Amino acid sequence: MKNKKINDFLLFALFVFPAVAFVLFATDIPFVMNMYYSVFDWNGVGKSMKFVGLDNFIKIFTNDKLFWKGVTFTLKFAVFYVVIVNIISLTVAVVMSKEKKSSSVGRAFYYVPYIISLTAISLIWKFIFGPGFEALYNITGWEFFNWSWVGTPKLAFYVVVIMAVWQNVGFYMVNYIAGIIAVPKELTEAAKIDGANSFQVFRKIMVPMIMPAVSICMLTSLTFAFKLFDIIMVFTKGGPANSTVTVAYNIYKEAFVNNKYGMATAKSLVFVVFVLIVTAIQLKVTKSKEVEA
Amino acid sequence: MKKVRKVSILSVIIFLCSIFWLMPLLLIFINSFKPYNDMMQHFLALPESWKLDMYIETWTKFKFPMLIGNTLIYTIGTVLVIVLLAPMAAYKLARTKSKLSVVCFGLIIMPMMVPFQSYMITLTRLVANVNLTGTRMGQTLVSIGLCMPLAVYMIHGFVKNVPLELEECACIDGASKVRIYFSIVLPLLKPILTTVVVLDTLATWNDIITNQLIVGGNAKAMNIQNALYMQFSAQTSDWEHALPGIVMSMIPSLIFFVLMQKHIVGGVTAGAVKG
Repeated sequence: MKNKKINDFLLFALFVFPAVAFVLFATDIPFVMNMYYSVFDWNGVGKSMKFVGLDNFIKIFTNDKLFWKGVTFTLKFAVFYVVIVNIISLTVAVVMSKEKKSSSVGRAFYYVPYIISLTAISLIWKFIFGPGFEALYNITGWEFFNWSWVGTPKLAFYVVVIMAVWQNVGFYMVNYIAGIIAVPKELTEAAKIDGANSFQVFRKIMVPMIMPAVSICMLTSLTFAFKLFDIIMVFTKGGPANSTVTVAYNIYKEAFVNNKYGMATAKSLVFVVFVLIVTAIQLKVTKSKEVEA
Repeated sequence: MKKVRKVSILSVIIFLCSIFWLMPLLLIFINSFKPYNDMMQHFLALPESWKLDMYIETWTKFKFPMLIGNTLIYTIGTVLVIVLLAPMAAYKLARTKSKLSVVCFGLIIMPMMVPFQSYMITLTRLVANVNLTGTRMGQTLVSIGLCMPLAVYMIHGFVKNVPLELEECACIDGASKVRIYFSIVLPLLKPILTTVVVLDTLATWNDIITNQLIVGGNAKAMNIQNALYMQFSAQTSDWEHALPGIVMSMIPSLIFFVLMQKHIVGGVTAGAVKG
């Protein structure tokens, strides 16, 4: 009997432990280390680690303008991004959900930016907004192309929004299409026979029926917005004048540019709590609107 | 009649927009063949000739063979290890009811709930502590660890719907547990494994953050995205080399997309639950 137990355990270990080991190394242990370091004042290199208790957290909440500027930017970006990307992708999905050859080509076109790396995307838009707009200004003479898009804080915000929306519409479109296809045909047909026009069908039948897709898209777009990092790192680097620093980029800079590891890890923890709270609220709100078929 | 026309106008606009959507990529492509002066003067025109000179120069000057080699090592290494280990763990976890099993599952999926940026700093420290900074080994190990949670989670959900009877039959026939897994369970997991392979291939090929953090400026272990970042994201950019570089970095993803289109669209949606 005992032998069998040991055998079972060994088998379990053989199957499960390797995977656990990789995850422990790459994420779980770093996450715990993160909590540990957050109560120290440490530059990341030297041996002098000074225990400071909750000082780092107090500093974040009382004396860190740049961090809160990052929070404001991230929230503002989240609102713009979530609204715009969901409206565009839902509109596209409604048209592209019809089973035609042309739809599948159209879908692929919208989807391509999603599979390209954020590095390439940032460089592509850097080229378009830089030399590209300069060239277009020379051709058309439109003042619009002559604005300093990347150089002025206000416009740089829209540049970031445009890039993020452009890249991700395809992803949400696919989710919405899956939701729309799952709506039973009888429902929409019955409504049409009863004399509803296409907008009414969309508003009264489609929208309630695709709420599960809407909640997935809302949730993923919201978490994407909160975690916005790559685009900022490659393209704007937080500039001009720190106007496009996101929370994640602020943490990265604190650690690797300012060499304040303790502070950066404390900020990471605040960031985790912030993301968890907002996603929990958001899940609750959209879940309550879902209906059963 | 009026109603029909209204719908079709919207469709026409959306279809025209889909071409507009690809404009940035098309502009990058046509301008990658032009000298800088031509880009500025004839931005929208097709290039005068489709000579590959700048492509070849970029290819050799920025050591593209090595970059592509590195990126391939990371991508293939990660995908192979994931395909070997993730289904094993997911299967055993789904079939074992014990405290240990719950704890292990918790440890594996915990990272899905917290953003990567919240532990990336200490991850970099940890990799430095075990002397793997700047090495291919370090990058591959981290990449596997980061892809594992979602892979196990997705396969775990799939295994729960695989009927137990099949395994019981084989057990009565006297097959060993390991053998049952490899010859009966694993083939059944093929659909979800395809999804996992697609997701992890794209994620590893396109990765910049972990390569930037772990490899940094070490030219020998850079992947292609990191090299593009290091070379071209500074203020003054050398667009004559940057554009061909961007195009070459995208070609493998695009080919992969065309080959796997069906699975990609399905697979990426399946991964959406991660958030």
